[in-house]
Amino acid sequence: MSIQQQYRSRAKELLQDGSVKMVIGYGEGTTATRRRPIFITNPDDTDRLVLDAACKTNLAGYLLREGLLADQKSVAIFLSPSGVRTINILASESQLSSAQVVVLGFQIQGDTVKALEGTKASDFSPLIAKRKEKRKAQPSHEMTRKLEQMTPAERFAFWEGEFSRCIKCYACRAACPMCWCRRCVVDNNQPQWVNTSSHTLGNLEWNLVRAFHLAGRCVECGNCSEACPVNIPLHLLNRRMTEEVLTAFDHYPGADEHQEPVLASFRKDDPETFIL
Amino acid sequence: MSEPFEPKIVAFVCTYCTYAGADLAGTSRLKYPPNVRIVRLPCTGRISPMFILKAFQKGADGVLVSGCHPGDCHFDHGNYHARRRWTAFNALLHFTGVPEERVKFSWISAAEGIKFAELIDSITEEIRQAGPFEQYHKLIAETGSVASV
Amino acid sequence: MAKIGVFVCHCGENIAAKVDCTKLVAAMEGHPGVAIAHEYKYFCSEPGQESIKKAVTEHGLTGVIVAACSPRMHEATFRTACAEAGLNPYLCEIANIREQCSWVHNDGEQATQKAIEITRSLVEKVKRNNELQPIEVPVTKRALVIGGGIAGIQAALDIANAGGEVVLVEREASLGGHMAQLSETFPTLDCSQCIMTPRMVEAARHPKIKLLTYSEIEKVEGYIGNFNVTIRQKARYVDMNLCTGCGECILKCPAKKITGEFDCGLANRTAIYTPFAQAVPNKPVIDSDNCIYFKNGKCKACQRICPTGAINFEMEDELVELEIGAIVVATGFQVQNTALYGEYGYGRYPDVLTGLQFERLASASGPTGGKIQRPSDGKEPETVVFIQCAGSRDPSKGIAYCSKICCMYTAKHAMLYAHKNHDGNTRIFYMDIRAAGKGYDEFTRRAIEEDGAGYVRGRVSKLWEENGKLMVRGADTLLGRPVEVAADMVVLATAMVPQPDSKELGKTLGIGYDEYGFFNEAHLKLRPVETATAGIFLAGTCQSPKDIPDSVAQASACASKVLALFSREKLEREPIIATNNEATCSGCWGCVLACPYNAIEKKDLTDRAGNLIRRVASVNAGLCQGCGTCVTFCRSNSIDLAGFTEKQIFAAVMGL
Repeated sequence: MSIQQQYRSRAKELLQDGSVKMVIGYGEGTTATRRRPIFITNPDDTDRLVLDAACKTNLAGYLLREGLLADQKSVAIFLSPSGVRTINILASESQLSSAQVVVLGFQIQGDTVKALEGTKASDFSPLIAKRKEKRKAQPSHEMTRKLEQMTPAERFAFWEGEFSRCIKCYACRAACPMCWCRRCVVDNNQPQWVNTSSHTLGNLEWNLVRAFHLAGRCVECGNCSEACPVNIPLHLLNRRMTEEVLTAFDHYPGADEHQEPVLASFRKDDPETFIL
Repeated sequence: MSEPFEPKIVAFVCTYCTYAGADLAGTSRLKYPPNVRIVRLPCTGRISPMFILKAFQKGADGVLVSGCHPGDCHFDHGNYHARRRWTAFNALLHFTGVPEERVKFSWISAAEGIKFAELIDSITEEIRQAGPFEQYHKLIAETGSVASV
Repeated sequence: MAKIGVFVCHCGENIAAKVDCTKLVAAMEGHPGVAIAHEYKYFCSEPGQESIKKAVTEHGLTGVIVAACSPRMHEATFRTACAEAGLNPYLCEIANIREQCSWVHNDGEQATQKAIEITRSLVEKVKRNNELQPIEVPVTKRALVIGGGIAGIQAALDIANAGGEVVLVEREASLGGHMAQLSETFPTLDCSQCIMTPRMVEAARHPKIKLLTYSEIEKVEGYIGNFNVTIRQKARYVDMNLCTGCGECILKCPAKKITGEFDCGLANRTAIYTPFAQAVPNKPVIDSDNCIYFKNGKCKACQRICPTGAINFEMEDELVELEIGAIVVATGFQVQNTALYGEYGYGRYPDVLTGLQFERLASASGPTGGKIQRPSDGKEPETVVFIQCAGSRDPSKGIAYCSKICCMYTAKHAMLYAHKNHDGNTRIFYMDIRAAGKGYDEFTRRAIEEDGAGYVRGRVSKLWEENGKLMVRGADTLLGRPVEVAADMVVLATAMVPQPDSKELGKTLGIGYDEYGFFNEAHLKLRPVETATAGIFLAGTCQSPKDIPDSVAQASACASKVLALFSREKLEREPIIATNNEATCSGCWGCVLACPYNAIEKKDLTDRAGNLIRRVASVNAGLCQGCGTCVTFCRSNSIDLAGFTEKQIFAAVMGL
């Protein structure tokens, strides 16, 4: 049985026996390589579920749609490992209860999709622990290395070029599963910390603030860059933050649901190489 | 040759340590360059990265963030939280091309008037050498406002 | 519409000599929102303050900036003046153009420009200041004293004698602490028990003191004037109300070979025991770890003999909750673990003792009745070697500090030994003799000159046993040669270290501690008995090594601090506290975790029917100290800090 078939039947079972009220998964998109999220409540509709190497979007953010989990009923959701980490973060930040989330875990390797064992987010902890070690050993992104080798002025010019294209559509925010604030800082105009006009200065401020707010929380799912209509490589900023908290504080976002937010906790012996 | 460039530097400091250290530099009549403007906060824990960006928007050529040494925070551990935030934000600034010499972090206690004066001396000189933060000033100019007042 | 008054002070020549005050006034006069700008020679003077007050009323000012010395100097002065003129004091801010401007710059023009920017920035800030009211909190006039040694007893008695209620908590079964273990005390050589036990009895009998022995602090919540403390009363297995303290049970108890803590292992005790003969309360406790019944389920010899039926094996720990206004921490010290000093043979040779063990030997109430005898064979030692700084002042062993009391008690030991063994010899290896204190140097001189204490300046490198003697090899650095002494007994002046669990207690109380675990005072010189947490005070050796007079003095100082607090019905605090916008809060609890004071609570938002809508952060104004760490964490900008709001800081930066 193909993994897609397997997961369709699993989804059907879950809905039929009433253990979940909804399955959030992937359905056909407008083109062969696009997948769109679908929300299935009727067991007969599970045949619409698709699971293949094109299923790249992190769906976890949909769990936070106002009221979805308010009735304490469970929802099943297709998640890659970064999606599971998202659940852990959302649970650690009290945005959902992981007990209400049934994980249909999968992993994309090249063109194939592999099923992952486990149903609760915590079942994936050993897998995530392994990925943490892998992430530590993983060299920086090629573009990141290129940027690090530039002079500051060149780097500034690079980002100036990128941010000049930003149209402040906030698609990055809408796509990001971590952007669940009831009020985004950019929408606070008392005071207006972030310039809302889409001039380069305002765009720089917006993107820096977003990257900072994701420090220690970004699971590198790639939703933001994917969503950006003007192709700003936003993931580079977030990856750089991830590397920083990993090296400086040994913090791998979403390792488990009891993880403390890296910027609301501290160790007395945290490194401080740059402080005079 | 025109006059030497005098940078504008904004300092965000906690009231218990660095602000008091700056006062001590004053009562000790130490001399340092007049380029720094201090904004007083209760604790380094209150110093948000947004402050740094706003200082740059206001045309600062450099920013200093300073507070109590680790272990000495009046509020027990505000500075430990601050240190983590600075670590992340500093890396971010570095990665986006804000030169290292333009954002400085330090621990200066209420007793370190000399350290305060010497630090202001050295960072002012460093930024003087670096010149105006023109790349940022250009962004400010695009918004229609003026960098320096 | 803002009507800000700017008052530029010359401070005589201090400011005016560098800063062109007239130019500063002119610059401010043209600034939006500034109603008036004045300059004057000394605004802090009576006429200066009067002129500010007059301007406030005449112009109906909505904010005041005094450009003068540091706010650390005169902020309170000018805020009071504003309040007297009917302006909320928190609408007054100080522009520091002296310490941070005129005094530190050479160039007048640049200094003037800087002064203009500093002042302008604060004008922009003060426009956004809000009227704030000092926070009033009630005071529970009941003190908790943690620790029933001499410091705790002294603090408790001083508070109680002034009419304050006290709860005195001691974790051992009796009051007394280390002082009760001592023989005589320097420099007067009065018997420790003779001066200590009456105090213990007085504390126990005092109508204002509630004594909880065999009890420990479980949880501390709340804040100055309003602490909620949970105390664990450990199961004693003896009903204190029924027990008459007759002691029959102790005589009957078959488990007799348990190492006695009070005598530092030099004598044994039973499983049901009173720690020492003069214990207060003088009623026994069952040591359940060593009791035969608790181990094997059989025995109950004590229960059978007890004439009043006071023994209760079913007893359980009890939690007592108390409302407390102030806390005195007097948890004392421990003697350093001598295992660190293998070269001195402690634990290997029975006749190598700690100073505290020597106290027990010399004490009339001790295991030998005050005879100084070798633990190994009961013989009176002919030569005793004392090794000072056995642990103290030795960074390589992890203790860099001086334990302060060892020089004195070693001199005392030598003296007591000389008084009891007239033909004995003493050798004291020392680094320095530190005898600063009333009558202290005279005391050590007396030990040397009258009682023949033999001081050798140098360290001991090795100790071994040979022909029934303890061979001590050291250096005499004054003569520059090695020394070897054949001793019958060796006494180590071991370091004073914090209680092993002091860091945990520090966390429970929310007070700081140093690298060793001694509690931190708010300011070593000016606030030596207060901690950085308001309402919690320190007495005795839990703060640093001290002798008895210092401990007692600090305890009395604590009592005066507590009584000053209790003299007030309400406390006023600066209203610099955080507030949360519940409408925008997402309840991520990052602020709860970041807050150093546990001042942020989770609050349920419910609909009219009482159904939970969501949970948001809520700041407890009594606990919040106003650091603003939560504000910076809050991604949605929901939390803000009064006095340093986001709007104020934004305006101050943009006003530069």
